[in-house]
Amino acid sequence: MKIAGTYSLTLRLALVFAVLAFASLAGLGAALYNQLEEQLTRRDDIQLVSRIDQLRTILNDSNTLELIQNKPALFQNMLGNREALLTIGAPGQPPLFVVNPSNLTLPTVPAVPINHVMALNDVQHLPSINGVPFSAVAANIDSGDQGNLQVLIGKVMSERTAMLASYRLSVYGLASLAAIVLALVGCLLVYRGLLPLRRIARHAHGIGIANLGERLDRHGTPRELQPMIEAFNAMLDRLDRGVAQLSQVSTDMAHELRTPINNLLGETQVALQQHRSVDAYQQLLASNVEELERLARMLDNMLFLARTDPTSALNQRQELDACDEMQRIADYFEGLAADVGVTIEASGSGVIWAEPMLLRRALANLCANAIKYGAADSTLQVEAIAKADGSYLRVRNHGATIPPEHLSRLFERFYRVDPSRERSAQSNGLGLSIVATIMQLHQGRYSVTSVDGVTCFELFFPARQTQDGRV
Amino acid sequence: MNILVVEDEPKAGNYLLNGLQELGYSVSLARDGADGLHLALEFDFDVIVLDVMMPKMDGWEVLRRLRKEAHTPVLFLTARDDIADRVKGLELGADDYLIKPFSFAELVARLRTLTRRGPIHEEEQLQVADLQIDVLKRRVTRAGSRITLTNKEFALLQLFATHEGQVLSRSLIASRVWDMNFDSDTNVVDVAVRRLRAKIDDPFPLKLIHSVRGIGYRFDTQP
Repeated sequence: MKIAGTYSLTLRLALVFAVLAFASLAGLGAALYNQLEEQLTRRDDIQLVSRIDQLRTILNDSNTLELIQNKPALFQNMLGNREALLTIGAPGQPPLFVVNPSNLTLPTVPAVPINHVMALNDVQHLPSINGVPFSAVAANIDSGDQGNLQVLIGKVMSERTAMLASYRLSVYGLASLAAIVLALVGCLLVYRGLLPLRRIARHAHGIGIANLGERLDRHGTPRELQPMIEAFNAMLDRLDRGVAQLSQVSTDMAHELRTPINNLLGETQVALQQHRSVDAYQQLLASNVEELERLARMLDNMLFLARTDPTSALNQRQELDACDEMQRIADYFEGLAADVGVTIEASGSGVIWAEPMLLRRALANLCANAIKYGAADSTLQVEAIAKADGSYLRVRNHGATIPPEHLSRLFERFYRVDPSRERSAQSNGLGLSIVATIMQLHQGRYSVTSVDGVTCFELFFPARQTQDGRV
Repeated sequence: MNILVVEDEPKAGNYLLNGLQELGYSVSLARDGADGLHLALEFDFDVIVLDVMMPKMDGWEVLRRLRKEAHTPVLFLTARDDIADRVKGLELGADDYLIKPFSFAELVARLRTLTRRGPIHEEEQLQVADLQIDVLKRRVTRAGSRITLTNKEFALLQLFATHEGQVLSRSLIASRVWDMNFDSDTNVVDVAVRRLRAKIDDPFPLKLIHSVRGIGYRFDTQP
């Protein structure tokens, strides 16, 4: 399967290797080639200059000139091969003597004066004679009685050109070969380097709900992969905890459902055993309604807790007057609190940026708990404090101190400090977990402290963000 | 009041039919969407109770076709507590909705609200038996003697008095008096009613607030 936006690491690295190998080797080859060409040119030039020096010395003697004219083969031999060119003659006249085995067109080269010492830079480099580079040097010679003669000596670089061409070819050939070899080696290295990754992927593929306890093996993996494995294992830890919690919740919920359903079933079956008075039937039905309402509430709460998408809550946030909201909660619980002699003190400042029903629900759950577990004839404080970053809501009641080992687990579903209080008529153990969910939906925070008989729940609602992102 | 109930679930259909008939309404029951749409277009109903989840023609389809020709108020029943679902219903032209499970008293209260014609004008003076409520001055007297109520007690009494003879469910009371639109695990409503009773009923021989077992409360001069 090909996914858009993906690429092959192997192919990339192999290509990079190949290009780098080719470029570096070809560069090196080119540098050496230039050096070689320079050296060869220099050697040829030295040869030409020394030869013309020799001729200057030899031709001073008129006998020698005759010898040349009579036995040209001797000179041809002296020049050595088919690449050489030699002409001797007076300026402006046809040459007296020509050695030109390749039948080259004679170039015009400025002659060096008689009393001038020959130097390397007197050699003329002509780019091409009949398609082949050509070096030549000319000099005036005093040949005694023959007078002033001009000598031209040259060399066609066919051999050198061929040699350089073959050199070039080997440079390119070797560079290409190295590129291919390195690309292949690169592929192999990447393949081998990624082997642990493949092994990890295979292992990860095999991890499911059934063996969520398994962790990826760090043994024998390169150091570069360690952070990934650690992150992956940490993710598995979180998932493992989440799944365990979910299955615990399902189990707890099934147990919670068992009691009301058992009551409904039992009471109704007993009622149907014999004819009863209308009043008895009415009592039964009313009791059934109570149980059913409890079931409906639990269902409602469970569905609420299953809500994970915060967008709808976030979209319905309003700026609520903190004072009004605190007063509303105090009014709502006024009677209930008065029954147990609890006084509610409500105060609030600023605005709270929250979804109204969710805010009220969270506060109501906290207050209901505070009244239920609070000491009789005490004060329940409900306050909202506006700060720059948001609103801090505190619900503080007097009562038994909650031991610290329970505090962190209070917000878990179905968690109860005192298991014997399980399933009191008014509690289903979900109240605080609903508070936690509401705070998560608002991207806020929640915490609880319990010290010296004062238990304080604190909720934090972040302030409204303005358009430019400032608080 | 003439009510059409479109509900395919037999038990639910039967109890809605019986329950509403017992309250004195004239009720027609359709067991599927096609029948329901046919009846809704053929006869003139004051309000339609429409179940959304039905085989063949579902509630949305019925509503869509109905709205092309009629504007009878529609209250839809849904089992999905899904915001998208509710929005869809209201966009298609429904007037209200209830999520299953719902309390029967709640349904009746909603139907009454839907069929009430004209704007609701708040009465300034309410009188039930020898109980007098002056809404503007927030003053309550019974048998000539003045009764002092807290704000919420007054709101609760006013709600009762404006719905004389009707059964009000606890969740309806919580939402109207305290604006708490969720079923609370606490018995706040019972406590508030008990405290109100202590002030307006206990000292007098004629009781006005009656508990309706399993449903809620009824404010009535008849026991």
